[in-house]
Amino acid sequence: MDQAQLTNFAKLVILALVPYVLASQGTMLGGRTGIFNVAQEGIMLVGASVGFLGAYLSNSLLVGILAAMLVGGVFGLALAYFTTTLRMNQFVIGLALFFIGLALSTLLFKFAIGVTLRPPLVPTLPNLAIPGLARLPFLGEVLFNQNGLVYLTFIVSALLYYWLYQTSFGLELRAVGENPKAADSLGVNVTLLRYGTAIAGGMLMGIAGAYLPMVYTGTFTEGIVQGRGWLAIALTFFGGWRPHLIFLGALFFAGVEVLSLRVQVIGSVVPYQILLMLPYVATILVMMPAFKGVRAPAFLGQNYDREKRTQV
Amino acid sequence: MQAVRKTFGSVAALNEVNLHINRNEIHGLLGGNGAGKTTLMNVLYGLYKPDSGQIWLDGQPVEIHSPRDAIRQGIGMVHQHFLQVDSYTVLENIVLGAAIKNRPTMQLAEAEQRVKALAGRFGLAVNPQATVEDLPMGARQRVEILKALYRGIKILILDEPTTNLTPQEVDSLFESLRVMVSQGMSVVFITHKLGEVMSACDRITVLREGQSVLTLDRAAASPESLVQAMVGDELDVAGSLLFSADKAVGDAPDRTQPPILDLDAVTVRGDNRQPLLQACSLTVYPREIVGIAGVAGNGQRALAESILGLQAPSAGRISIAGTDVAQTPTVKLLEKLVSYIPEDRLQDGFLPSASVGQNLILGRHRREPYSKNGFLNWPVINRAARRLIGEYKIRTLGPDDTGANLSGGNIQRVMIARAFSFPARLVVAHNPTQGLDIPSIEFVFSKLLAHKAAGGATLLISENLDELLLLCDRIATLYRGQIAGILEREAFDKYEIGRLMSGARIDS
Repeated sequence: MDQAQLTNFAKLVILALVPYVLASQGTMLGGRTGIFNVAQEGIMLVGASVGFLGAYLSNSLLVGILAAMLVGGVFGLALAYFTTTLRMNQFVIGLALFFIGLALSTLLFKFAIGVTLRPPLVPTLPNLAIPGLARLPFLGEVLFNQNGLVYLTFIVSALLYYWLYQTSFGLELRAVGENPKAADSLGVNVTLLRYGTAIAGGMLMGIAGAYLPMVYTGTFTEGIVQGRGWLAIALTFFGGWRPHLIFLGALFFAGVEVLSLRVQVIGSVVPYQILLMLPYVATILVMMPAFKGVRAPAFLGQNYDREKRTQV
Repeated sequence: MQAVRKTFGSVAALNEVNLHINRNEIHGLLGGNGAGKTTLMNVLYGLYKPDSGQIWLDGQPVEIHSPRDAIRQGIGMVHQHFLQVDSYTVLENIVLGAAIKNRPTMQLAEAEQRVKALAGRFGLAVNPQATVEDLPMGARQRVEILKALYRGIKILILDEPTTNLTPQEVDSLFESLRVMVSQGMSVVFITHKLGEVMSACDRITVLREGQSVLTLDRAAASPESLVQAMVGDELDVAGSLLFSADKAVGDAPDRTQPPILDLDAVTVRGDNRQPLLQACSLTVYPREIVGIAGVAGNGQRALAESILGLQAPSAGRISIAGTDVAQTPTVKLLEKLVSYIPEDRLQDGFLPSASVGQNLILGRHRREPYSKNGFLNWPVINRAARRLIGEYKIRTLGPDDTGANLSGGNIQRVMIARAFSFPARLVVAHNPTQGLDIPSIEFVFSKLLAHKAAGGATLLISENLDELLLLCDRIATLYRGQIAGILEREAFDKYEIGRLMSGARIDS
């Protein structure tokens, strides 16, 4: 691989990283207050559909992204309402939201566009070169001459890390996912934080979905998310529900994914199915020992009821 | 607090309760299980919403809708089950929800100084940087108290604060509380232990079945009058076992015969190869009650379960009346030799979806007369169940009632009934009186003593030291899976056992 190929490869890895990181950080955020979202795949599909339609109909990618964020937030709100206010089973509600998202994504597209021979297209997200930094050798091209959502991904990850571990807000937020009764007894507003993180998490997933038509395909197709949402759950667990480890895990996964696509294009004696499997296998093998011992929030997936009496 | 009422479903947990707390006093709130002590305090702390009633503070009516309101009014509470984030440090637990001043950067140095100052002032020594889950129970409780003090409270509520503390830790807790009230605070002390109210409190209010029965100054109170108030007319207090320790225990153990239970250097390892029990040797003779003292989680469960054959020791030998436990399936032990009252009755002892009758014969269900040729004999089972329900005063609709309909105390009665309803050589009882009211505790004691009088052996594992001191012929103390010491009845000393419980002998 020469210099130009290597740069190109690294750039593709960063591009592939974005939806995994956004969706995983969204999952992590909800989980930190005990809300275990399993509707990533559905929310990303709706995000992709709404994001595409918003951009296509308004001729503005930004409008598309904001629309996807909004609809993702609505899904997060629904999850929070059913689980935190109505105290229904999180897993069941999450699956229901997944199916709703799956169906809604296609339905909206059919309503708005109908059946066409030539797919409607939106332009690819433009690269925004950061003045100065973009001229650095190698890193400049890979990190600082990318689209806006790549920068958003970096910023969101860094902010989440800082927020969770360096502020009293983060201390309170994490406490809700560990022991909501303790947090509640100290005057932390458990319900508000659960709603907030579920909605913010849904928004990140919506953006992650909108990213796909805007960077890869230019249009919405059925099943465009291709399991990235499910994978985000795994990456969140592997990353021990910590923003920095999630980022590293997603980086590794994206690297192996791009590499396996590369090898397929070049052609190899190994059947391509094995190559498709490679990212998943490699990630599991590397991350299992690496993040052993980090644990999920203690209250993950449970609902809190202040007046519930402890069972005798 | 005036005429406070709170119902759960159709049950009135509090029924027009009144409570008056003065400044500068430690006020004892005494009552049996389910008397409403904790519920009343949860109302004051804003965790429960009362159906009716009014709270007054310094002559002003106040509305308390959440713990946040309570803290703002100067009310703090230390719950029986500590409300702490296990993975946080002491300091983080204390400032949680209070460090609003420096939200974005969280500079904790100033907070740490404040915590240290408070700890010094009230004698609540604790390392602010330690992780809470690594601390012993006494230290975790100090963290809970500091949490409340850090918020500048005037009234501190303590819910059963002495559970799991050694006698030394209890004394130092009482000293800290004295300092607090001498500096103008008030303390509400919830307990079911008489000795503690008598030694620590200035005034005492007794609750029974959700009603305040009476309020007394300590000088005017006697243990007998308080018990009578707690139980009403259900118990003959004067003749109670609780006040006649030495008469009750009966004859000395028969050590001329071989021991019924014999543990020889038994080691049990947990899932991660960590030893739960280390080289424990222990004997229980006929007509003997041996107590196991210790803070919860020091190997009590492994001890009980290895005797029952539920956990296989990695070294050592256990025999019951000459039968090697390792060679005998648990079901055979239960049929012939051992009765077991498990610690966690819901997890290990009771089938909530099975009927009360089925629960009462569980473990002997393969044996005649309950079962014949592999078929259960329902008429016999139901007859036996009805007899036990009457004898053990289990509040239920009958043998066919679903187990889940029973209250905690009644489930414990089923456990007791099952354990004592056939002649076992050995009874292993793990916290047999937890969650029971005084008449029921009295009943359990009498059953244990009757078993002893009949020549049986008993291993009584309990976190309640008073109970052990009352009933046992010998007390062995467990610390980190080792037997730290065994005391004969003549040498019983609460503080010596406290030292053993905190590892004084093994660690030094």
